[in-house]
This record gives sequence, structure tokens and C-alpha cells, in this order.
Amino acid sequence: MRKENLNNNFLARWVSEELTSAELEEFKKSKDYSIYKRINESSQLLEGPDYNKDKVFENVLEEINTKTQTRVRKFIPNIFYKVAASAVILFGILYFLNNTTTTYATAYGEQLKVTLPDNSRVHLNSNSELKFDKSNWKDNRKVSLKGEAFFEVEKGSDFSVETTEGSIDVLGTKFIVISQKKYIEVQCYEGKVRVSSNKTQTILNPTNAFRAIDTASETWNFTNQNPTWLQGESSFTNTPLKQVISALENQFETQFNLNNIDANKRFTGSFTHSDIKLALKTVFVPMKISFTFKGENSVVLDKTK
Amino acid sequence: MSNEIKSVCEKRNFEIIFKTHSKAIRNFIYYKCGDIQQAEDLTQEAFIKLWDNCAKVIFDKAKSFLFTVANNAFLNEVAHKKVVLKHQAVLYKESTNITPEFILEEQEFMVKLKTSISSLPVKQREVFLLSRMEKKKYKEIAEITGISIKAVEKRMSLALMTLRKTIGDI
Repeated sequence: MRKENLNNNFLARWVSEELTSAELEEFKKSKDYSIYKRINESSQLLEGPDYNKDKVFENVLEEINTKTQTRVRKFIPNIFYKVAASAVILFGILYFLNNTTTTYATAYGEQLKVTLPDNSRVHLNSNSELKFDKSNWKDNRKVSLKGEAFFEVEKGSDFSVETTEGSIDVLGTKFIVISQKKYIEVQCYEGKVRVSSNKTQTILNPTNAFRAIDTASETWNFTNQNPTWLQGESSFTNTPLKQVISALENQFETQFNLNNIDANKRFTGSFTHSDIKLALKTVFVPMKISFTFKGENSVVLDKTK
Repeated sequence: MSNEIKSVCEKRNFEIIFKTHSKAIRNFIYYKCGDIQQAEDLTQEAFIKLWDNCAKVIFDKAKSFLFTVANNAFLNEVAHKKVVLKHQAVLYKESTNITPEFILEEQEFMVKLKTSISSLPVKQREVFLLSRMEKKKYKEIAEITGISIKAVEKRMSLALMTLRKTIGDI
């Protein structure tokens, strides 16, 4: 019976009432008939889970509406992107046209001579950075400095050097600025220089020098005509050893270990840029400090016994 | 029958299509996967797709479009759950003859039937439920599921035999 059922889809035809009356009579006699009948009748009473047609339709409408809305909305963002992109390009161009901030920086042991738009010259000593804005240079001569530089300023409007520890204003002159952390030193070679640091102002005449360490400041006179480091030698007048060592570090790209010495001692003298051993000797022997090379770029300092 | 071509893009016609077919589609998917949420989501998606393509679909072909879309979307989904069916209260014609035992036995049979249907292979189940619950003709089922009428009949017969086997003798 089973095989037969399957072969000519007997059951399927029975369910859809396609059997001939003879076939049906035959089937009614079989013992399976009653259960098949019951399955068929009962299954027609079955129902799927509740269906909230209206709610689904609402969802569909909502989805369709937001879709059409986003289609409309999309147009605006597209324009927005175009505008934004144009703006970026425009600003980029303007930035390049206007971004006239120029930066010069020197590496360890390097010096650089920079000519500013008004022919003022700046000599950057090692490991220093100079920034200035080319636009409107004539009326606004302003540079910012980290490290050490010698300025030869042409006459003109106020020329100012900004550092973290103070600013220097001049009219036309030659001077050196050394700007380190919590340290500023200015040496005036020509003309007049006004140093504003720690809320005090100091006017420097030629051969006057000024330094501010933390909050203390001092002035002194010097004799050389030009900064010695332009000729390959750094010179110091009663300078805190810390600053001298910092100059050595910038010049020779070497780290110094100061733990065992008094770095606030003052040093007067100079060191050459051409030979690190000689430079260290000239600085540290008179200060009664011994130095030992540890590796390539590291020096440990100690008091000489 | 009007000779006018009804546009699916018209909200009114779209709603007619929805009211006529959405439940069948929902149930069709439900018989396959047993997940109401998924079934309704796919139904919704099918109608949204119909709306998106309303200019390309003829009113009379909307139904097969919907079933095809729903069926295809279903193929991409993987989760299968057990189908949970409800049954209508049986209407007894000769109410006087009914004993509590009979009602109890009847209920037991319904539970058995539903469990057996739930555990039918998906292919047999969808054909069986479309035929018995949705009262669809084999021809229609063949269109919906994309198989031949002969194959539908075969699945139907197989489904009946499987049910007979699992329910056993009463």
C-alpha cells in the first residue's frame, strides 16, 4: 500500500479530492483510512500564529516613507559633501597661500644661516628652532625661538623674538638669544635691545648681556665683536654649568649625567666645536670635574678626587 | 474585470495586494522557519521590494513576485526554529454525543498532530501546510515553491505518510 501511495501520489490526490469513486471506495476499506482522514480533517483546523496585518502594513508604509524621504534627503548631504569638499580644497589653497609660517631647525652640531624677508639675518646654533610668519613681515617682524641664535636685524619696524621665557624687542641691531628651559640669555652686539622677562624689562646697550635663570636675573659686559660660535667656538661668561653642558649636548649630541656634580657652579671660558675630547677637557678640567665616556653618546661626570 | 492596467505603484492597488497576500506570505515563510519575527520581517521586506520595483511588476504578477522575493530572502537566512501551530476550537455538530473522554482524546490527538507537523522535514512541511492550512491548490503551491506539480504531490503524499507513521495507530 505504501509504495503504491507514493508511486501515483495516491494520498495527495485523495487529499485534493481527485480520486475516482472506485479508488476512494477501495481506500475507505483500508485500515489506514480512518487515521488519514483524521489527520486531514484535523490539520485543516490548524492555524498559524496570530497575524496583525495592519501593523505589518503600517511598518511597510513607514519603511517606504522613510525610504522616499531619505532619497530626498540624500540629495542634500550630497550637496553638503560637495560644498564641504570644495571648502576643504579652498581652505587648503588659502592655507598654502597664507600659511606663510616658516620653520627652520638645526640638528645636533649643526648651524644654519637664515635670511629673513627684510634681509635681517639669523644664525641658528645647534639644536635650535626658528619660526616666523612671512605674511605681513614688513609691519610685523616677529620670530619665535627655541635654542640659540644670533640676530642681525636690519632697521625697520619693531623686531621681536618670542621665547618661552620672555621676549626681546629691537629696532635694528645685532644680538644673541639663548633660550633654554627656564633660562634666557641675551647678548647685545649693536644697537639697543629690550628684554622682557619675568615681568621686568631690561635695556641692553652694545656689549651688554642679560640672563635670567628661573626668577633671578643678571647683567654683565662682554668684549668680543661677534658671537664666537660663528667661528666654531662657544664662549661663556660666568654661565651656570648647566647651560654650558646643555650647549655641549646640543653641539656634540651627547647626554651628560650630572647627578654627581653641582651644575649650578659658574663657568667662564669657551669650548671648540671641532673636537669633543678637547671641548670636554677645556670645560671640565678647570671645574675639577672628571668625565668618563659610557657608550657612544653618553658621558658620566664626577668630581675629581 | 477591467481592462485598465492597475499600477502597483498606486498606493490603493499596493494596499490591495498587501491585504490579499501578506498573510499567506508570512505563513509560508513561517512554515519554513518557525520564527514569527523573521517571517514578518521577510514579508515586510518583500513588500518594500515590491514597492521599489512597482514600475516593473505587473499587478497580476505581484503575488508570484512577492513569494519569489520572500523565498529567496529566506534562503539567505539560516536560523530554523520549530513551527508552533495553534488550532481552532473544533466545532462539534452533534454536541449531545460528546463525552469528556472524547474531548480529551481529541485534544491529545491535536497536540500529537502539531508536534508531528513541527518535526516534518521542511520541504514536506511547507507543502502540507500550504495545502491544508492555506487551502492552496497544488498548482499554486508549485508556483510559490518553484517546483513541479508532480513534485508537490509527491511531497504531500510523503508528508501524509510521515505523519501517519509518527502519530501511529489511535
